[in-house]
Amino acid sequence: MSTRVSTASATGRRTLLGLYSTLIYLFLYLPIAVIVLFAFDAKPIPGLPLTELTTSWFGEMLQDQKLVGSLLTSLRLATMSALLSTLLAMPAAMVLAWLPIRFKSLVMSMVLGPVVLPQLVLGLGLVILMRAAPGTVGEPAIILAHTTITSSYATLILYSRFLGFRRSYIEAAMNLGANELTVFREIVLPLMRPALISVFLLAFTDAFGEFVVAWFVAGFTETLPISIWTSLRQVISPKVYALSSLIIVVTLALSLMSQLWVIRQTRLASKVRYA
Amino acid sequence: MMVGPTPYPAASLRATKRGERRRKLFAAAGLLPLILWQFIFFVVPVLLLLVISFWRTKSYRMVPDFTFANYLAVFSNGAMWRALALSVQTAAFVTVVCALLAFPIAYFIAKKAGPLKGLLLVAVIAPFWISIVMRVAAWRLLLGENGVINQALVSTGLVDHPVSFLLYSPVATSIGLIYAYLPLYVLPLYASIDAIEDNWIAAAKDLNAGPFRAFWEVTLPLSLPGLIVGAAFCFIFGLGEFVTPALLGGGKQLMVSQIIQDQFQRRLDWPSGAAIAIVLLLIVFALLALSMKWFRKASGEKL
Repeated sequence: MSTRVSTASATGRRTLLGLYSTLIYLFLYLPIAVIVLFAFDAKPIPGLPLTELTTSWFGEMLQDQKLVGSLLTSLRLATMSALLSTLLAMPAAMVLAWLPIRFKSLVMSMVLGPVVLPQLVLGLGLVILMRAAPGTVGEPAIILAHTTITSSYATLILYSRFLGFRRSYIEAAMNLGANELTVFREIVLPLMRPALISVFLLAFTDAFGEFVVAWFVAGFTETLPISIWTSLRQVISPKVYALSSLIIVVTLALSLMSQLWVIRQTRLASKVRYA
Repeated sequence: MMVGPTPYPAASLRATKRGERRRKLFAAAGLLPLILWQFIFFVVPVLLLLVISFWRTKSYRMVPDFTFANYLAVFSNGAMWRALALSVQTAAFVTVVCALLAFPIAYFIAKKAGPLKGLLLVAVIAPFWISIVMRVAAWRLLLGENGVINQALVSTGLVDHPVSFLLYSPVATSIGLIYAYLPLYVLPLYASIDAIEDNWIAAAKDLNAGPFRAFWEVTLPLSLPGLIVGAAFCFIFGLGEFVTPALLGGGKQLMVSQIIQDQFQRRLDWPSGAAIAIVLLLIVFALLALSMKWFRKASGEKL
């Protein structure tokens, strides 16, 4: 009798928890849905009620030189930052995870500092630094700034991956006469590929969307977040919502896919281990 | 043949020595680029800020000096104290709300989601990767005087006129920040709760603890590390956040970050802006040290 009561109340609690979780997911996705919805609103100043739907804003957005230009700038700069930060982070994370080094905690705090540093503070510091090299203001400065931030995240993620790496594979290969370069090319790189790709994608997404630091060092360069910021100060055109909703959909799809892929890879790897 | 025992160890010693040198070389080559990069673009900028915070401004130009005037001005300025208070208040409020909202969802994903675990966790984190300006733009659509929420309220007859306090107020800033940091809080909390073995909770229940007592004495203490990490991130990021208060907060009540930006870009008084930034930085580092201490204590007690 008492067990049945307790199962009933446990089921009740579980339903309540499920209901609550649904509400949280609604809270997380409602704002995004609103942007996507208003991208189809025919009125020049979007708002409820949605009387007429159109896809014309997507076409008009592609005609907008300034908007498309800032999108291309952002794509280009974010690719550079992601590439640079992956290249900087990978060897460093490998060394930090595998080799005994002195002053490890000092190195770690220097490498990870940009994660906790308020971005505004980093932006201002870089502005002062750029006074020494005025030629870098603009695109180079944005790449530098974003690489500084994203290489921290990248090092952190890759460090934990390298810690979990089975180093017996490396020892086996070296016992069979492989040198470091061969081991790296034939064993480390293939096994780390999923982690490297996901780190590259995360760095890209972060650099693509970052606003504050870029805004400080941008000069006359307009990245997409900067041009959205500028348009938020005026009446915002539905074209911006059209572009934003496209980017949101792509970002969500990419992050879902890359993360799920990583989860599956780790599951496969652990299956191999137990087999 | 007179093969003594000596040549072999000597050769091996030489080999290990060479191996040692090689390893050191690898370590240096791997670390140096990143360390150099972070030194030039992270450490040096912060040091530069520190240096110019002791300079002074004369007719919109910086003059090298060593004066504490900027810091004295910061602490004797009422507006500065109000901004600091608002920042701390907002960050604290956002942290508490995020913790309360995040705990059940992290628990649900870790313990009750079954095979959907991975997908549900990723779905919580995914909005975090959307550019902050776009997320803030979304909240302007929702909270504005003619926004979605107001129109819903009016059409359901809950209010006669659109309510105006939603957008351009500290309330709006808090909502925006809670939205931005909730995923950040769920992640470490999930990791902590996921590591709790179901057996431990079952054991507590076997020992006659009700579900509330089992939660209070087993689940909650064991998820403390996650709670602390999440709170540290929320509070620290909340203190220094700029975009959300600038676009949702309205500009009547300024947060610290807005004052710093104002000093730099509108008043062109870099030294005093730098002084405020350094104060903010010190608070952040103190909080970080404190939370790391708590984190160690909380994870130590687990074992």
